[in-house]
Amino acid sequence: MAASLPRKVWQTLGAIKTGVVLLILVVILSAAGTVILQRPTTEPDELQRAYSPQILRVLNAVGLTDVFHAWWFVLLLALVSLSIVAASVQRFPNAWRYFSRPYKSPDQTFCNSLPLHKLISVKDEEVALSAADRVLHKFRFRPERIVRENSFSLFGERNRISEVAVYIVHLSLLLIFFGGIVDALYGWRAFMTLGRGEQSSQVQPQNGKARNLAFAVRCDSAGRENYADGSPKKWWSNLSVLENGKVVLRKQIVVNEPLVYGGVRFYQASFGDTGKLDKMTLAATSRDSGESKDLPISLNETLWLDNDITVRLAEFFPDYAVGDGHVYARSNNLENPAAHLVVESKKSGKSVNVWLPPIPGLEENAESPYAFQGKDVEMAYFTGIEVSHEPGQWWVWAGVILMGLGLGVVFYLVHARVWVVPVQDAQGQVQLWIGGTANKNKDAFEHRFQELVTQIENELKVSTEMPVEPSAAVFARS
Amino acid sequence: MARVAKVEQPAATGTALVVAVGLGVAFLLFMAFLNVVKSGNVLSEPNLLFGALIFYAGAATLYLGFGITGTPSYIRYASLATWAGLLANTGAVAHRWYAAGHPPFASIYEMLLSFVWTLAVLTLIAEKKYGVKVIGTVTMPVAIVGVVLMQLLRTEVRPLVPALQSTWLHVHVTLAMLAYAACALSFALAMMFLIKDKMKTETFLAATSVFVIATYLGVLTRFEKWGGLSVVAWNEEAKSEVFIGKGMRLFVTIPDLGWMMLLVLATVTVPFVLYLVWRKTNNETFINIANRAVFVSILLQALALAFFLMRARSGEYASLDADGLFPTSLAASPFILSGLVGGIFVSLLYLLLLWRRNDLERMLPAADELDRITYRTIAIAFPLLTLMIAAGAYWANRTWGSYWSWDPKETWAAITWLVYAGYLHMRITRGWRGRRAAYFAILGFAVVMFTFFGVTYLLPGMHSYA
Repeated sequence: MAASLPRKVWQTLGAIKTGVVLLILVVILSAAGTVILQRPTTEPDELQRAYSPQILRVLNAVGLTDVFHAWWFVLLLALVSLSIVAASVQRFPNAWRYFSRPYKSPDQTFCNSLPLHKLISVKDEEVALSAADRVLHKFRFRPERIVRENSFSLFGERNRISEVAVYIVHLSLLLIFFGGIVDALYGWRAFMTLGRGEQSSQVQPQNGKARNLAFAVRCDSAGRENYADGSPKKWWSNLSVLENGKVVLRKQIVVNEPLVYGGVRFYQASFGDTGKLDKMTLAATSRDSGESKDLPISLNETLWLDNDITVRLAEFFPDYAVGDGHVYARSNNLENPAAHLVVESKKSGKSVNVWLPPIPGLEENAESPYAFQGKDVEMAYFTGIEVSHEPGQWWVWAGVILMGLGLGVVFYLVHARVWVVPVQDAQGQVQLWIGGTANKNKDAFEHRFQELVTQIENELKVSTEMPVEPSAAVFARS
Repeated sequence: MARVAKVEQPAATGTALVVAVGLGVAFLLFMAFLNVVKSGNVLSEPNLLFGALIFYAGAATLYLGFGITGTPSYIRYASLATWAGLLANTGAVAHRWYAAGHPPFASIYEMLLSFVWTLAVLTLIAEKKYGVKVIGTVTMPVAIVGVVLMQLLRTEVRPLVPALQSTWLHVHVTLAMLAYAACALSFALAMMFLIKDKMKTETFLAATSVFVIATYLGVLTRFEKWGGLSVVAWNEEAKSEVFIGKGMRLFVTIPDLGWMMLLVLATVTVPFVLYLVWRKTNNETFINIANRAVFVSILLQALALAFFLMRARSGEYASLDADGLFPTSLAASPFILSGLVGGIFVSLLYLLLLWRRNDLERMLPAADELDRITYRTIAIAFPLLTLMIAAGAYWANRTWGSYWSWDPKETWAAITWLVYAGYLHMRITRGWRGRRAAYFAILGFAVVMFTFFGVTYLLPGMHSYA
């Protein structure tokens, strides 16, 4: 009894009923995972808003707030894989026997029980067989001669692979699962942000501590293009890969075009304003001469306006607000910019604060020897890069391709077999017994079979130059 | 919708149908022509779409008429109308493609456009190649609902956000549309099979009642205190729902509409209760009353739809979450609308079955032939579904750095795949034929519909732009 327990488990695993129950469980649980808010994709406070504390506690305890990473879901998927393996292993030997040892020489019982067959009266056995051989060739059945007790017979078939195709599909599913498991165990996803010119070899996973790469990535430049309505059209970053301080690879990444190096992939994921100024242009007009010039300036840069006067960009706010006599940044978006300039006379040592736009209480714009206008503000962007390492993905893609092929074979390739056997009727007259069978799409095959028989008859008429007896012809066509 | 309903109504009359439909189509085309003269643009996308709607509606009426009377000439005219609708639809697709500069798959509007197109093509194929002549009775109403929904959704060409600028997206969505249309066809064929397979008309009564009850229960999840019905607020300028937080829509309450829906729910429940009583007592009187109750429920459903159209089309209503009045629009409630329209169609189809079952059955191919074609359609849909998921995974991998992230749409696509895989296994290893296979095909399509619409509107996720 003890020995039969593993066997029983094995049998149960392979049963179609088990498979269906498991699949129904997968369906129900993953559906639950789409309806209940999931922790990895939801902000914590949103979860608290959506569910009462008691419910949330229960959901958390059973893992329903992170279904797809819960141990029981993983266990379930493992069981599904086991079930596929068990079912395939249990059924495969039979199919393999069918596949590897095709039934080529039919016996009397088989001939009698095969529903699709025809009998043709012939004069000469050898002539008839070679005629049938030619027709089978033409129908791409690749016929072979089988030696029987006192004669030859023919066996032809097409697409034998169709018998085992379903196992190819099962295998492909296992490959995909395997790839998924490898990625779940050894893969990781992380994020890095780089400003222009910055480099880093450290990436930050969503949970857990920072991870060090064997190489560094530098952002040489980054930018975006917008549509006319302001929605983003394209984000791009020019990245360099550095190993031991030397650039080994350069590539521009855009949203659908990642950089791959050393099994690690870098995706353009997001893009944002740092809130810092890259550069802007100042239009300075002298109050004495009325002369005007444009000067590009960046933060903390000091420029000479003439022999005496310098201007320094002391502060820049992309979105400013005033409160308690201070200017502060409300956000990092370039919405309501303000610039603080310090204009200094070297000779007198006197400096004035110029604010663009003028901010009452802080500005001394009128005292400045130059009037300023700001334009062409360019912000420094940071680029957000999603980093992922998925060593299992090649298994997944291999599985996907295999599955595509397997399904194609399963659904669209029919294993068709035809046997041609010379027999003798009660009067000792030689007849050709032709039988055929297909493993699916049987009605279409029946048409094809009739065509094949008709062609063999025609072939016989030509090759023997002898009219087939009327009775036989009628019999064959009926 | 009112326009479509007008064309639908002559369905009960006999041989004058072709004339009636012809006049209806001509009248609508004339009205459309007047509009065109006013706007001065003939081949604009809305006009083409409107043309498609008119012809599809005409085709649906004729298909229904054929189902009822069995007059062979109807089917010829129905096919012609479908061809004409398809032509207009093709024009709309081409126009869209040209105007947008990318294949029309980027928004739910564009996907519906392609879906309806594929459905019309498949209908014609099923009719010509497989001889399933009355298939249009089921698919054409679906096409009409699709086109009507399109009228409500935002239609302007919106620039593609960076994640969508990929060939793989087009591969993915094309495969999805083909697969879903094949699923829709298998659903229609399964229904036809059940009719031909002598499934009791009473069972259809139960099934349609459950569908309609479920629809109204769904609508009534928006029931508010004091009989209101809450709908999403709509910003006409931005052509989008009003959001008050990340993924949180602002709801406004239309007073009294909730009571109306509750009343209709009660009415549509009556036939089902009577059916249950009939099951218990076997007293035919109950079924007779139930059938009359269905008729009454259709009238009330139409009334509810009319009220809903009047109240939700425009107007400003108070909200429970914010002070002041906010406008709403039909475009903000595509779900409720398609639910209401769907309920009416389903009930009408039941009445058609009740009154003209024998004629209908005569028009259909043999049951096992239908069974075989259903299987063959799914044999087309399943590999397409597989490739669709694969292409989507590949695209996600190139865009988000992960081929599978259990996003709701992904998960539901996988569930769809599993349901059809279940169908195939039961059919091949367990020899499931006929009824049970047909139920499975119907279940599969229900899941497809949920994946297509339900996930987009009900569940949060990364597919939010589609």
